[in-house]
This record gives sequence, structure tokens and C-alpha cells, in this order.
Amino acid sequence: MDTASTISFDQVPVLLRGESVPIAAWVERWSTRRVLLYVSVIFMGAGLYGASMGWWRDPRQALYVAIKFPLIILLTTLGNALLNGMLAPLLGLNLRFTQSLQAILMSFTIASAILGAFSPLIGFLVWNVQPMRPGAQIPVQTYLSIQLTHVTAIAFAGVAANLRLMQLLNRLSSNASAARRVLFSWLAGNLFLGSQLVWILRPFIGSPFLEVQFLRPNAFQGNFYESVYYSIRHLIAIGGAALLPP
Amino acid sequence: MESTAYVDMSSTPVPPRAPSPDDVPIRGLLAGLEALIREPRRVMVQLSGPRAGALVRNMFIAAALCYLFYGVVAGTYARGTQLWAAPVKIAGGLVFSALICLPSLYIFACLAGVRARLVEVAGLVAGLTAILALLLVGFAPVALVFSTSTDSLPAMGALHIVFGLVAYFFGARFLSAGFTHFKAVSRAGLKFWMILFLLVALQMTTALRPIIGTSDTILPKEKKFFLVHWTDCVKEAVDKETVK
Repeated sequence: MDTASTISFDQVPVLLRGESVPIAAWVERWSTRRVLLYVSVIFMGAGLYGASMGWWRDPRQALYVAIKFPLIILLTTLGNALLNGMLAPLLGLNLRFTQSLQAILMSFTIASAILGAFSPLIGFLVWNVQPMRPGAQIPVQTYLSIQLTHVTAIAFAGVAANLRLMQLLNRLSSNASAARRVLFSWLAGNLFLGSQLVWILRPFIGSPFLEVQFLRPNAFQGNFYESVYYSIRHLIAIGGAALLPP
Repeated sequence: MESTAYVDMSSTPVPPRAPSPDDVPIRGLLAGLEALIREPRRVMVQLSGPRAGALVRNMFIAAALCYLFYGVVAGTYARGTQLWAAPVKIAGGLVFSALICLPSLYIFACLAGVRARLVEVAGLVAGLTAILALLLVGFAPVALVFSTSTDSLPAMGALHIVFGLVAYFFGARFLSAGFTHFKAVSRAGLKFWMILFLLVALQMTTALRPIIGTSDTILPKEKKFFLVHWTDCVKEAVDKETVK
């Protein structure tokens, strides 16, 4: 039984280093204290990153995104917990429900720790660009640069976390292809649900032409995939019109 | 028949192991700076010891003092307000740059398999900062000569950047040796971080401008990327020359 003294933030570097022996031992046994440690790291790391993301628009936006970013991670984990717990044994990796949940929480803990470490750099970047005051005309390249930086940081954190998750699944399974199938199925499910949660919980960076709000009034109208579909249709229509003879 | 007397080895005193030079604690600011230049391995060993926190703190303080000194030299170009503003901005800006980049270095260190505590990684960053600062102090007489005999702001700025880059090279070498000491499996993260820190430091000098020039305000009203700022300075200098 884990005691309070053996569970501390010192375990986070162990996750980051991907030390397979202790991590596999942690996954083997459910520990409420350890899960609470993961949740607190997710809140702190993803919360700090969310705050740095929203700070460009307004300090209130920073507070809202500091709450929303960890919420997305936890809601995705819990929303897909049953599905992910069933997919693992069905795809050849005989994990218990609690083991699947802990493994996914571990990977999100790694990603959140990485994002939290990058948050001072994002804050510095935001400090160095034109402030997004209400009605301000932000140059397109500035907005795109900030967006691209966020995409890069989040992608890096995600890749690092999933590499460690892959190593863990390889250790728990004697079959590397089963581990790969499970990872991809978890990723697909989490991306699918996570994208829609991001859509519902927008805005994150915000806009100088829209108010600072926790949720947009039309948060529960439409969905992420519809908006992508209409964007593609719109782009095709513009492209088609440009190709038409005068 | 020979008798073999039994000798009780437990009563024979074992001579103490002679301490390695690396085990000798580093006390004080000057000792820390000297060790960084002459015995970097000793610094890395001491970062794993019981007085690591004090060593890290001393290295940051020593770095700040060296930056303040170099800042006074940099301020001699414009004189006036810059004699106090330049040292404060250089010391504050560069130490702050190191501190905001420290968490990401710790992450890259962990991802590279480094089994170092946060204080040990902080010590490597403090070491990099201190070596950079110390070498800038070495360049200070050269900078002073040019500062008092040059009219060109872009040329003076370029000179300070070159000195900074040379100093950074040696600081980065210490950091790289530190990663080797702590048995990093991969160096990709470290290389990326070195570029990141350089960009942050260069951008910090632009965010806190003017440092060698003059202005109506202590800090700029307009936000600029450092390459854009440098280009604007060069264009302004060329236009001035053309008008003459």
C-alpha cells in the first residue's frame, strides 16, 4: 500500500524519464493518492499554460483558460475512460479498467508538466507582441505566429507524452503490435472527443472583436467537424470562383 | 609445524579515503567563478552535494554583479541615464531570461534521461549565466575603448552582440558538459534549448531597449521582434549618413 510519504512530485520526473520499472509497478496497483497527484499536476501544468494562452487577450481570459484547459484534459480522460478500458483487452492488451485509466492519466500528466514548463516562455512571447486590446488591429502574421507557437508547443507535449505511453504499453504487453493498436485507438478516441470539447469550451486565445467570455453564447450549437466541413466547402468555393473565366 | 596465528582485521584501522579535489566545497562568489573557469567538473560534483542551493545562489549573484559591471561599460556609449539603466536592464534581463528558460531545460533534461534534481539543473543554468557574465567582464575593456571612440550605434550594438555570442559559446559548453556529467542519453533537447535561450536573451535586449542608445522613455512604447529592431537601427543609421 502506498503511503503519503512515497507519493510526491518527485514521481513526475520519473514519468518524464520514462523509467519503465517503477512506472509499470505504479500501473499495476490502483492508488487514489497517486491519481490525485496526476490530477493536480494536470491542473497546475495545463492551467499555467492556459493562463499564458489567454493572457494575450485579457487577464480574465487567462483565468478562464487556466480553468478550461485542464478541464478538457480531464473530461476527455473521463469521457472515454470506459471505452478506452474496453478497447485495450479487445485489441489484445489485457489491462484492467483502472490500469488503462492510470496509463492515460500518466501520459496527460507528462504532457501537462511539459506545457507548464513552457508557460513562462509563452508568457514572454505574449509580452513581446502587440497587446490584443478591444478593437485592436492585430497583424495577421502576429496572430498566426502566436497560433503556430501554441500548436508547436502542444504538439511537442503530446508527442513526448504518447512516446512514453507507447513505451509503457510495450512493457505491459508481450506483443508490440497489440500495444500499437491500443495506443492508436486511444488516440483516435481522445482526439475525436477532445476536439469537440475544445469547440464547446472555446474561446482560448480570444479575439479583440469579441467580448471576454468563459463560453461563447453558441457553445452548444454546431460542432467542430461541421465547422471544418463548412470551412473546406468555403475554401473550395473561393478556389472555384477564382478559377472561373472572367 | 607452523602455527598460523589468527589476526583480527576488525581491530586494524582502515586509512580514510583521500578526498578527491572535486569533493572540496566551493565557498563564496569568487571561488565559484574561479571553479567555473578552472574546475567545471568540481562545480558539477558540488551541485549534487549538500550545499548545492548555496552554490546556485552564489553563481546567480556573481552573474548579476558581472552583468552590472558590463552594463556600466555599455552605458558609457550614451552616458547620462544609460549609466544606471543599462546595467539594471542587462543584469535583470539576462538573469530573468535564464530563470524563465530553466523549467523547459529541466523538462528536456528529464526527457533525455538525466537523473538530476531541479537544483542540479538550476546549477547548470546558473553556471552558464555566470560564465557568460564573467567573459563579458573580460571583454569590458575592449567594449569601453570602442564605446568612448565610436559614433555608430549599430556598430556598437553589433560589437556587444558578438561579445555576447562568444561568451555564450563557452557558457553553452559548460552546460553541454553538465549534461554529459549527468549521463544524458540524448542531446537533441539540449541543442534546441540552447537556441531557445539565445532567442529569449536576444529578444529580451530588444524588449528592454534602449540599452546603449537614448530614448525619451526608459522602456519602449512599441513591441518589436529583435531582427526587425536591428534592421530599423541599421536603416536609420544609413539614412543619417546619406543626409550628411
